[in-house]
Amino acid sequence: STIAASAMLLQFVVGLASLFYLPFIFSIVLLVIFLSATGLTLGIRKRIAHLLIAIFEWGSDVSESEEQVSESVGETREETAEEQPAPIRKRHSSSDLRIIKREHSELIDSKLLGQDVLKKKSTVSVLVDDSLDFISAGIESIIEDNVTSRFSAEQLPSWNLLSRTKYTFMHISPKLTILWILGFYFRYLILVPIRVCLFCVGMASMVFITSAVGYVPNKAVKKWLNRRAMLTSMRIFSRSFSSIVNFHDRHNRATQGGICVANHTSPMDVMILSCDNCYAMVGQKQGGILGFIQKSLSKAEHHIWFERSEAKDRMAVSNRMREHVEDPTKLPIIIFPEGTCINNTSVMMFKKGSFEISETIYPVAMKYDSRLGDAFWNSSKQSYGEYMWMMMTSWAITADVWYLPPMTRMEGEDSIAFARRVKKAIAKAGGLVDLEWDGALKREKVSNKLIALQQKLYFERLSTRTSMCSEITDDSIDILKNMSEDDRNQLFKCLDEADDDNAVIRKVSEFIPEVAALVTEAVKAEE
Amino acid sequence: MGNNSSLMLRDEEIDVISKETEFNRNQIVRLYSRFLSLDKKAQGFLEREDLLNVPELAVNPLGDRIVDAFFTLAGDEIDNEKRLNFRQFVRVLAFFQPVDRSKKNSLNGRRDKLKFAFIMYDLNKNGYITREEFKVILNSMVGANITTDQLDKIADRTIEEADVDHDGRISFEEFCKAMEKTDIEEKMSIRFLN
Repeated sequence: STIAASAMLLQFVVGLASLFYLPFIFSIVLLVIFLSATGLTLGIRKRIAHLLIAIFEWGSDVSESEEQVSESVGETREETAEEQPAPIRKRHSSSDLRIIKREHSELIDSKLLGQDVLKKKSTVSVLVDDSLDFISAGIESIIEDNVTSRFSAEQLPSWNLLSRTKYTFMHISPKLTILWILGFYFRYLILVPIRVCLFCVGMASMVFITSAVGYVPNKAVKKWLNRRAMLTSMRIFSRSFSSIVNFHDRHNRATQGGICVANHTSPMDVMILSCDNCYAMVGQKQGGILGFIQKSLSKAEHHIWFERSEAKDRMAVSNRMREHVEDPTKLPIIIFPEGTCINNTSVMMFKKGSFEISETIYPVAMKYDSRLGDAFWNSSKQSYGEYMWMMMTSWAITADVWYLPPMTRMEGEDSIAFARRVKKAIAKAGGLVDLEWDGALKREKVSNKLIALQQKLYFERLSTRTSMCSEITDDSIDILKNMSEDDRNQLFKCLDEADDDNAVIRKVSEFIPEVAALVTEAVKAEE
Repeated sequence: MGNNSSLMLRDEEIDVISKETEFNRNQIVRLYSRFLSLDKKAQGFLEREDLLNVPELAVNPLGDRIVDAFFTLAGDEIDNEKRLNFRQFVRVLAFFQPVDRSKKNSLNGRRDKLKFAFIMYDLNKNGYITREEFKVILNSMVGANITTDQLDKIADRTIEEADVDHDGRISFEEFCKAMEKTDIEEKMSIRFLN
């Protein structure tokens, strides 16, 4: 009978819970709609975020100390300085997680840029020397490189209780497992239903309100209504992913048309930026549901949707964008010049197309904090649907947005240099690494042009730093060949490895009159 | 990184590799993580293409040759394609550890490092570097920027300087002798952190 009693009790509790469950969900949804429409916030998400982060750090301390215990038990080797148990270090960013110090790669870079100090040496010794450096730099890049790591989610300093970020060889203690189970139920049973409801509500409101607004005849009223509708819908959307966004320097926002550029990490970038300001979107015309959404949006405001065929014609694209930008009644355009999603630890090459349309650009820097949920979309590994589901089941999306002051093209600056300058400013503001590599390398191989460029740089190094191309030395080689063995050995005894070209020529001239004649001829030719 | 692959590295394997290569446990785990990220198709081994997918290696003038040397030193040949498993991967990287003079039987002595460089130069792997082989290396480094004449001259000069027995090609011993004055330990060592 105790079993029957406990079964009944369980049934009662479950029944009670389900009775309250739906009203609970709905009341939260209504609260969120109210907050989004009015632009207020209760700060609940921020508080929960702090709590979660504290839990994660506690969790990683627990697992690190347990690892220490198991390692010292398995230790059999003799004590050396390295084998002492390392103090528990709190890792705060993924840049701490390097395997090697890339000295040789840096050396090669400085050599190719002509920044190293080189005593005059023979071509052969420089060549062989450099080839060894190239080898070491190559091996370094096999172990750790700057580019491939940007196309996968960044490593976290401590585990955030999501199975997707667990390393395969990480020790998970029982305490952490319990936490994980609790977290799992909380996310899937409470957060996901709320979020799915909010998402549907947000989508519906965006589509229907903008269609309705489209019928309003008065332009000024239409604009104001569209703004309110879009801001509300976007805020509902952002709450449906539990995003916590901090906007900085809002006085730099683009208000009257123009182009905004930002670094690209995920499809939600637009949603996050739209919580604070209305933008005109640019994209390819889609079919199906997305196409329907695009059409509704276009009823209330001007957006730029391209046909597939138009998108390939770069002139047509830039003309249409230029028309839009020059019209002050239209909304600012938002563009992502990287062209693809990067994992938010760096900013990659900006394509120059957007920088040719307008003289003034409004840069925006975005930095996500991946501890509560990584927003990066790895399009080669995840489909769009999978990605959205991942976002719905994460803890939260945390982002910081910096509005940078508008930048104008300087006199004589071409688009590529302008793009580079803006990229540098965005990288600096967001605390990201500034790279010149093309984001297209996610899918493509390095172009032959880059390889040819490296060869050219190396050739320039050889020709300016060594005697490779001087004609006199070439002819002297011929003369040397024609000398007798004894004479040659005597000459080499006089020469020193450390002698520069002039000293060599002088010494050889003293030895061989023919060379002296060549020298005077060359000097005359130069004059 | 969310790498939930089934290619887990077992503790015993880590210990064996650690003894063989003098890397500590932490470094091996990190290198395994790197191995997995290079192995995009999750095959459990690396092919030439996997290494050349690293953009910084692809623009390295000697990138191709380095990958070749890598696979020559340690790879298995299956179906005419060279493959590298994790253990072999770490073995080759062990050549580039800094030299520890107290350990005599290590993999990373001066001669071993020179061996890597020699294999890179010796294209047909017959134990000798010929004039033609050197020209290929030189060509990779400067591309189409020099004339064939200059190419020949530089190759000639290089071979002559090192060719002690005047047989027109350079053996491993001659190579080591020519590199006597170069600080190989410093040039071909990679500093691993922690």
